[in-house]
Amino acid sequence: MRLRTRTAYAFLTPYLLVFLAFWIWPIVNSFWLSFLNTRTANWTFNPQVTWGRLLVDPAFANALKNTLLILVIQVPIMIALATVLAVLLNSPALKARGPFRFAFFAPVVVGEVAYAAVFRLMFNEFGIINKLGMTAGLPAVAWLSEPTAAMAVIIIALTWRWAGYNAIIILAGLQSIPDDVYEAATIDGVSKFRQFLFITLPLLRPVIILCVVLSVIGTMQLFSEPFLITNRGGPGQATETLGLFLYRMGFNTFNFGYASAIAYTIAALAVAISLLNLWIGREREQ
Amino acid sequence: MAGVSLKKVVKRFGAYQIIHGADLEVADGEFVVFVGPSGCGKSTLLRMIAGLEEVSAGELMIGGRLVNDVEPAERGVAMVFQSYALYPHMTVEQNLSFGLRMTGHDKADIARRVTRTAGILRIAELLQRKPRQLSGGQRQRVAIGRAIMREPKLFLFDEPLSNLDAELRVQMRVELARLHRELGVTMIYVTHDQTEAMTLADRIVVLRDGNIEQVGRPLDLYDDPDNQFVAGFVGSPKMNFIPARIVERGEKGATVELAGDRPTRLRQPLTGPAPEAGSSVVVGVRPEHFGEAGKGDADLSVAVDMAEHLGGTTFVYASMAGNRELVIQRDAEHRADAGEITVSIRKSYLFDESGKRLR
Repeated sequence: MRLRTRTAYAFLTPYLLVFLAFWIWPIVNSFWLSFLNTRTANWTFNPQVTWGRLLVDPAFANALKNTLLILVIQVPIMIALATVLAVLLNSPALKARGPFRFAFFAPVVVGEVAYAAVFRLMFNEFGIINKLGMTAGLPAVAWLSEPTAAMAVIIIALTWRWAGYNAIIILAGLQSIPDDVYEAATIDGVSKFRQFLFITLPLLRPVIILCVVLSVIGTMQLFSEPFLITNRGGPGQATETLGLFLYRMGFNTFNFGYASAIAYTIAALAVAISLLNLWIGREREQ
Repeated sequence: MAGVSLKKVVKRFGAYQIIHGADLEVADGEFVVFVGPSGCGKSTLLRMIAGLEEVSAGELMIGGRLVNDVEPAERGVAMVFQSYALYPHMTVEQNLSFGLRMTGHDKADIARRVTRTAGILRIAELLQRKPRQLSGGQRQRVAIGRAIMREPKLFLFDEPLSNLDAELRVQMRVELARLHRELGVTMIYVTHDQTEAMTLADRIVVLRDGNIEQVGRPLDLYDDPDNQFVAGFVGSPKMNFIPARIVERGEKGATVELAGDRPTRLRQPLTGPAPEAGSSVVVGVRPEHFGEAGKGDADLSVAVDMAEHLGGTTFVYASMAGNRELVIQRDAEHRADAGEITVSIRKSYLFDESGKRLR
């Protein structure tokens, strides 16, 4: 091996060792674990109690249902909102674009625990949301103790946190569309709304798909919000996601075999849904 | 079809004025070229006619109608952009028909126009391709085709050939001339390339710093420029400018002395008044207006620095006394590579200190 190459590997070695120990090994080992019954003193090969249980466990079905519900409701709302935000941020009519851009991106920078605490305060029985609602003549809602309302809080929180982030990505895509394409359409008499539908959206498709895929992966792993805001997926298991369920199985009941099977299921679902998105959004050749 | 009329048209961006009161009449069916160095305002003026930029002051009329506040789509114009501005996600056919489809045009008529446009531009076999599958020249044709689809009264071209290679540019130039002949529609064309301007235009509008310097037929601008800027801009290689001084003025002209340590005197016929003796002036001589010694108005001895032999003609880069660089065009019989040569000035132009032509 040439000296230069050897030196390079020497510098990389510490990282590669860490990567091997804390990334590769857990990935490989958890795959093996997912076939073991870890609830006995001697772990034995018994996929029936891990993979088999996935098929019949109502708690898993509940977590899967919750996760998919968030995926199906929250991701489209957020991406649509992000697209609208990006278009507004890109508008030449907007003054003070910099502060706005910062404001919409800022939630990502805020620590999870801090923002969760604020959301808990805002949505508690005597919080500002209920206060505002009652001022407007609406009945008070038990946001954190009523299952549907709790799910809504999770969806609102996620959207608040990530819409701006996606908007910034979409904004970058918008800015790569040259102005003269719109000018040509303007001279052709195409209305602004139709320009958006027939020029902007199709040209943004790759960027929007990227955002959807990133959001799908994020949602499949969703943990912090239901853990922190709705107090470990409460009320009951109403907002328990796959990520939370995995955590509960692994670190509350120490059933590592089952937790590993759940982890692999989450990863497989994320890959499958992302591939489906890419396939749906692929560019069709004539 | 429509003529265009600009009356004291002004363009400001904030406090910054770009166009300073342009006056221009473009006749119906005319091919007019806006030419000038970059930043002269030619594209801005074109975009104002298109409606992509607002008119800050003055009147802009198309086909006799005041269009200052008329939407671009209502002006009956079509525009071809430098970067083509094709819709990248649409096929050629969709690109051509997009505008008409979006405005609820009759489908049968759209199909008829696509067929006709594809025929005119010979792009029928490309209709199902996407822009990225086309060469630069093909994209340019599609961009022009999209303009033709609108059947406009007025075509606007914003440096449409500047992204093409030299050979394709010549070819497209010929096609544009053919297109103008076939369609007979008014065309306004922006370029910084004076060869394009000379070959395409019925009339050329020379702009500088937001002012129209001169409007005229290509050869009129070449033969009879109004000022030093136009004289220098039209013609390639550009006109030589030699500082001079009036030494004597008479009824029908003046005698000038060219700067340098071997003063050369030159008689300039003038119909107007000549500046006072002693005034500084500039004598302009085109490279092709130098001739054999003794056969012109005055002889000039120059030292040859370098020569470019193009076959039929040779461009001699020479310096005269006072280190002034000159470009001299010579024919095949009078090539020169080095040494001192004497040439005569067969034809020259006189400009005053401000650059205005003295006639």
